Amino acid sequence: MSRKQKVESNFKPAGHGHKSAGHYAGKIAINVVLWLFSLSCIFPLFWMFYSSLKLKRQFNADVISIPFGNATLQNYTDILNNADYHLGESMLNSFRTTGISIVLIVLFSFIVGYILSRIRFKMNRPLYLMFLMGMLIPIHSLLVPMYVLFRNLGMSNQWYTLLMPYVAFGLPMGIFLVEGYVKGIPISLEEAAAIDGSSFSRTLWQIIMPLCRPILVTVAIIQIFSCWNEFSFALVLIQNVHLQTVPLALTQFKGQFGSDYPLQMTAMLITMSPIVVLYFAFSNQIIKGMVAGAVKG
Amino acid sequence: MLQAIKPKKSIVWLYLLIPVALFIFSVFVPLLTALYFSFFEWKSGQTIYTAFFNGLTNYKALIADSIFWKSFWNNIYLVIACIVGQIGIAFVLVLFANSKLAVGKAVHRTFGFFPSTISAVCIGLIWSIIFHSKYGLLNWFVVNVLGGTKQTWLGDSAHVMLYVSIPLIWQYIGYYMVILFSAIAGIDQQIFESAEIDGANGFQTAIHITLPMIRSTVLVCLTLCIAGNMKAFDSIWTMTAGGPGYSSYVMALYGYTVSFQQSNLGYGSAISIGIFVLSLAVIGGSQWIVKRATRGLED
Repeated sequence: MSRKQKVESNFKPAGHGHKSAGHYAGKIAINVVLWLFSLSCIFPLFWMFYSSLKLKRQFNADVISIPFGNATLQNYTDILNNADYHLGESMLNSFRTTGISIVLIVLFSFIVGYILSRIRFKMNRPLYLMFLMGMLIPIHSLLVPMYVLFRNLGMSNQWYTLLMPYVAFGLPMGIFLVEGYVKGIPISLEEAAAIDGSSFSRTLWQIIMPLCRPILVTVAIIQIFSCWNEFSFALVLIQNVHLQTVPLALTQFKGQFGSDYPLQMTAMLITMSPIVVLYFAFSNQIIKGMVAGAVKG
Repeated sequence: MLQAIKPKKSIVWLYLLIPVALFIFSVFVPLLTALYFSFFEWKSGQTIYTAFFNGLTNYKALIADSIFWKSFWNNIYLVIACIVGQIGIAFVLVLFANSKLAVGKAVHRTFGFFPSTISAVCIGLIWSIIFHSKYGLLNWFVVNVLGGTKQTWLGDSAHVMLYVSIPLIWQYIGYYMVILFSAIAGIDQQIFESAEIDGANGFQTAIHITLPMIRSTVLVCLTLCIAGNMKAFDSIWTMTAGGPGYSSYVMALYGYTVSFQQSNLGYGSAISIGIFVLSLAVIGGSQWIVKRATRGLED
């Protein structure tokens, strides 16, 4: 406190008048740069939204103007009424794949993370290392063999095809987050439970799992975005249009309607909407979760 | 009684069985299969049974393959562009946002982070419209605001790597901002106050105090950035598909093209192993360099 007062007493009287001119110039410069950046991040969303209300002809005539007065929902009705676009189908596929993957990732991360953190057995460190190595393996070096394996086992183009790579590649980070978190829980808790006659499984599910809720939510947040947005595995393992996930359907859409940009933007907006709504509803928790995952994982 | 803390081995393995088996099947089995296939000639029309062993031929071809190496250097280009662009710009913006003069910090955080939650495919599609040579937003800006002439942007093979790196950089600036922001928030405020008393200006404080204090976080950012760009694929695939010609190929894209568009699975497997080795080498090598370079700063 005393130091703070010293700062103020040192600076304020010395050059107050001189400082305020530079102060305002600095303030304006800093805020202009920051706001330019922030608005650039959100502008595409805004641009896509009002462009989706234009027809191709209107868009091509003027790419930037806002369609006051002559806005049309034509693109939306086109997309939602035409089953050939497969957008609704692809969203259902993405919801299913993401949902099941998240549940499995959270469940398995919890089990493996807890066991690796608490139980001493010979394979503990080797397993830990194995999952650590999994984080380092670039997924693109696995696309060819996965394609061949899945083909030959009859596992490509199934509703469950994408679950395996998504869960497997989601596991390492989840396991490390849970492992670190469980270390912070006092072991006396489990000892007390054991004395009271609780079995291993009962302690795991009824005592530890509720305590791990915050970290499991973090794992879920990170994986929702990576599963919903994943493209490479979907591209290689799914050829059936009825099983496409959203990113895959969008690239197909681009191929079919390459020059109809308002239609493309409408398709993107519709398929982005769950993520956008989720993000703006829970942005604080989402940002915290993603950053925790990046730094600790 | 102690069974709860020291459960039977069989129970532990029962719990571990599915996740561990799934992980081995999805990660290590494919890696070994890729290694195995990489010794075979296996082109379109051949099946797994008619492919034949050709030793190191694929690897010899890979080492002499100029497109593969061009793709590799494009990955390195992206890594460097994104380190400078993402972490560098994020650091400057965080310093700005941290100053007492900044207005609306929470909004910058929410807006800035937003692009990183959108799929790279969407980002690629949006930016290919922005870059479009006829109806693009960028050309609209160049013509109507700057008074210039329309550019071809993604069609310009000499500068296409620069243009495709812009969306990648832009997408993740906010992400690194948040990471750096939380690291800086952890620094004791008194340090900044004493620097101010000693007459350090903003730039000196940033370089000599803030940066060394958050060194470990910057290292994390560097690793994320390198690992992320060694596997660049989705957004480039949607924006240029590697073109014009081979000028914006990256390793993953080349691997995909050879394996699935040219149906050359044997050579594609060799490329996969090449991606694996080179990615690990670049990530490991950069860690080593950074550790050596910052060793002097430890004390």
